[in-house]
Amino acid sequence: MTYWPVIAVDAWIGLVLVSIIKVTLILVGGSLGMMFLTWYERRAIAYMQDRRGPNRVGPQGLLQPVSEAIKTMTKEDITPLDADRVVHFLAPVVMLGATVLAFAVIPWGNLFPSSLRVGVLFIFAVTGLHTVGMLMAGWGSNNKFALLGGMRGVAQMVSYEIPLLMALLPIILLSGSLSLTDIVTRQGDWYGFGWYVFSPVGLTAFITFFIAALAEGERTPFDIPEADSEIVAGYLTEYGGMKFAVFYLSNYMTNLALCFIMASLFLGGGNGPGVTALGTVLGGLLSLVYFFIKALALFFLMVLIRGTVPRLRVDQLMGFAWKFLLPIVLVNVFSTAIWVAITRWGPQAQIFTDWFGEPASDNYLRYGVAIVVTLIINLLAVYAVMRINRRQPSDLTEEEIALGLAG
Amino acid sequence: MTLSTRKGTVNIVEVNRHDNNIHAGQGTLKGLDIVFRKFRKALFGKANTERDDTEGQFNVQYPEERLVLAEAYRNMPILLYDDATGQELCTSCFQCERVCPPQVIHITQAKHPETGKPVPAAAEFVLEYDTCMSCGYCAEVCPFDAIKMDHDFELSTADHPALDVHYTHLLRPVSYYEAIAPTMWAEVRDAALKKLQNNIKRRPGNIGVDHGQKIAGKSSAAAPKAATPAAGAAGRKQYTGPIAKVGTSMSEDKLARLMAIREANTGKRGGPPESGAHAIEADVATNAAGQVAPSDQATSGSAASKATGPVAAPGKNMSEDKLARLMAIREANKAKQGE
Repeated sequence: MTYWPVIAVDAWIGLVLVSIIKVTLILVGGSLGMMFLTWYERRAIAYMQDRRGPNRVGPQGLLQPVSEAIKTMTKEDITPLDADRVVHFLAPVVMLGATVLAFAVIPWGNLFPSSLRVGVLFIFAVTGLHTVGMLMAGWGSNNKFALLGGMRGVAQMVSYEIPLLMALLPIILLSGSLSLTDIVTRQGDWYGFGWYVFSPVGLTAFITFFIAALAEGERTPFDIPEADSEIVAGYLTEYGGMKFAVFYLSNYMTNLALCFIMASLFLGGGNGPGVTALGTVLGGLLSLVYFFIKALALFFLMVLIRGTVPRLRVDQLMGFAWKFLLPIVLVNVFSTAIWVAITRWGPQAQIFTDWFGEPASDNYLRYGVAIVVTLIINLLAVYAVMRINRRQPSDLTEEEIALGLAG
Repeated sequence: MTLSTRKGTVNIVEVNRHDNNIHAGQGTLKGLDIVFRKFRKALFGKANTERDDTEGQFNVQYPEERLVLAEAYRNMPILLYDDATGQELCTSCFQCERVCPPQVIHITQAKHPETGKPVPAAAEFVLEYDTCMSCGYCAEVCPFDAIKMDHDFELSTADHPALDVHYTHLLRPVSYYEAIAPTMWAEVRDAALKKLQNNIKRRPGNIGVDHGQKIAGKSSAAAPKAATPAAGAAGRKQYTGPIAKVGTSMSEDKLARLMAIREANTGKRGGPPESGAHAIEADVATNAAGQVAPSDQATSGSAASKATGPVAAPGKNMSEDKLARLMAIREANKAKQGE
C-alpha cells in the first residue's frame, strides 16, 4: 500500500517521457519526410518532362525545401479583411492536426509508435477531419473561389471515403484484425512475401484503394479542390506565408501517410526476405529500409500518374467513384469472403475439406482454387462494370430511360 | 528522318498518335508507360544535345554549360573601332539615331577644333541600354558598319544610371566582332574598312581615336579567341585599352595594310602623335622588317623612318592604271588644299 503512489508516479513519468520522445520523432520524421517528398516529387516529375528539377541548393538540390521553408516563414501573414479570422486561422491547424494524428498509429517498418487495436478505423476517422479543415478554409476565407474549392473538396472526400474504406475491408477480412500491428505481422509468411497484394482480392483492393487514396490526398487527376486552372487555388486562395506552408505540409504528410498505409496494408509493411532471420535490431533496420523503398515506390507511382493524367471534371470524378469504384469494391468484399472460406474453413464447411484437404498454409490446392475463383469473380465484375458504364444514352431503351438508368 | 531544305536540314521525329484500338484503361497504362520511358531516358539516357529526338535530357545547365549563340544573335548594340589604329568606325551620320524606334541613341558630332565644321566622327555617343529593345535596326541601317549587335546578354546590374552607356563603354575592337560573328563581318569587312579609310582622312588630330584611349589600363591583347559569350563578357573589359599592338600572328597581308594606314596617319598628323603610338610604330617596324615580304604592295616604303612625307609612297608593284588613278586623286587633293 505504501509503495503504490511512488510506482504510479514512476510509471506516469516514464509514459510521459516515452510519449514525448515518440511524438517528437513522429513530428520531426513526418516533417522531414514531407520536405524530402517535395524534393522527390519535383525531381521525379522534372525528369518525366525532360528537365532536371531543383539541383542547386545543397547536394542535388536536397536543401531546396529548407530554403523554401525559410522563404515561407519570413513572409507576411495576411488575413483578408472580411474573412472569419478565427476559422481562417484554425483551418490549417485542423488540417495538420488530422494528418499528424494519423501518424500516431502508422507503423514505420516493423516499429510501431503505438499499437492501437482499432488502428485502421482510427486512421480513417482522423483523416476524415481533413474535410472539416478544408471546408473551414473555404468558408473562412470569404472568397468565392475558396468556397468553391472547399465544397468541391468536401464532395470529393465524402465520395471517395466510401470506396477507400470498402477497399480496406478485404484486408480486414484476410487478417481478421483492425490493428495495423497485426495486419503487418500477418504478412510475414512465405519468407516475408506473404503480402496481401499477391492475391486477386488483395490486388483489386490495392488498385481501388490506390485510386481512392489519390483522391483523398488531392493528387492530380483528382486535385479538383485546388484546380489552379479553374478556381485559382481553391481553398488555398487566400492563404500565404506560413499558413499556406502548413497546408502544404499537411497535404504532403497526408500523402506520406497514405503511402505508409498502403505499404503496410498491402505490401507487407517492413516484411521482406531476411527480416525475421536477422533478429530484432538488424531486422528492424532492414524492415525500415524495405518499408521506405515500398513507400517511396508508391509515391513515385503517384508522381508518375501526376505526370501523365490530366485533371478530371467534377462529374467524371463523382461518376468514377460511385459508378466504377464502388461496385468493384463491393464485389471484391464478396470475393474476399469466398477466398477466406476456401482457404480457411475447416470444420465450418466439411465439403471444402472433403474436396481440397485440411486448411493449412502449405495446402496449395486450396490457394489455387481460391485464386481461380476470386480472379474469375473480380474479372467478371470489372468487365460488367465497364460494359455498363460504356453504354451511351442512345443505347438505352425507352424503358431504361424511364427508370432513370441513363447517364 | 531528316529533311533537307534550302536553309539546312531539319530533323523530323515521327510519332504514331492514332491507335484507335484502345479501351478499358489501356490508354492510361500506355500513357504511364510513355511518361515512364521519358523519365528513364532523361535520367539515364544520353543528353539530347542534338535536339533530334523528342526524348532525353534537353536542359542546359546554364552558367556552366552554354549553347553556342548564332552569329546573328543580337542583344545590345556596340560600336566598333579599328584594332590597329583605334579609329572609330562611327561617323555620326545620325542614321541609327533616326531609325531607333524607342529613340535611345544620342549622338553628338565631333567638330573641327579650328574651323568648327562637323567632322565624320562622334564626339559623344550615348545609348540607353535599359530602354533599348534590341531590334537591331541601328546595326542594319548603319552605312559604315560601325554599330553592331553584341552577344553579351549578362548585363544585369543594380546600377541603373550605368545603363545609359557612353561612348567609351560602347566601343569594341573590330577583332571582337569578328570573333563573335566571323561570316557576317567578312561580308562587310572590306567595304567598312575602305569607308573608314576615307573618313580618317577627314578627321583632324585625335578626333576619332580619343574615345578608346580614355580608359587607362591593361595593355590590350591581340585577337579574342573564343566565340562564346563568356569570352565576350571578358572581352568587354579587355578591349577598352589603348590602341592594340600588332599581333605576331597577324597575316602578312593584314600587317601590310595596317602599316600603310599607320603611316598615312602619321603623315597626316604632321609628325609623331605621341610617345605611345610612336613606340607601337617602332614595334611595327621591327616586326615588318622580320616578316613582311617585299612583294607586298604597301610595305615598299614601310620603314618608319622613311615616312616623312605627307603621303605614302606609291607601291612598287601597283598596277599602272591604279597608280595613275591614285596620282590623279592626289593631284586633285593638293589642288583643293592649296585653294
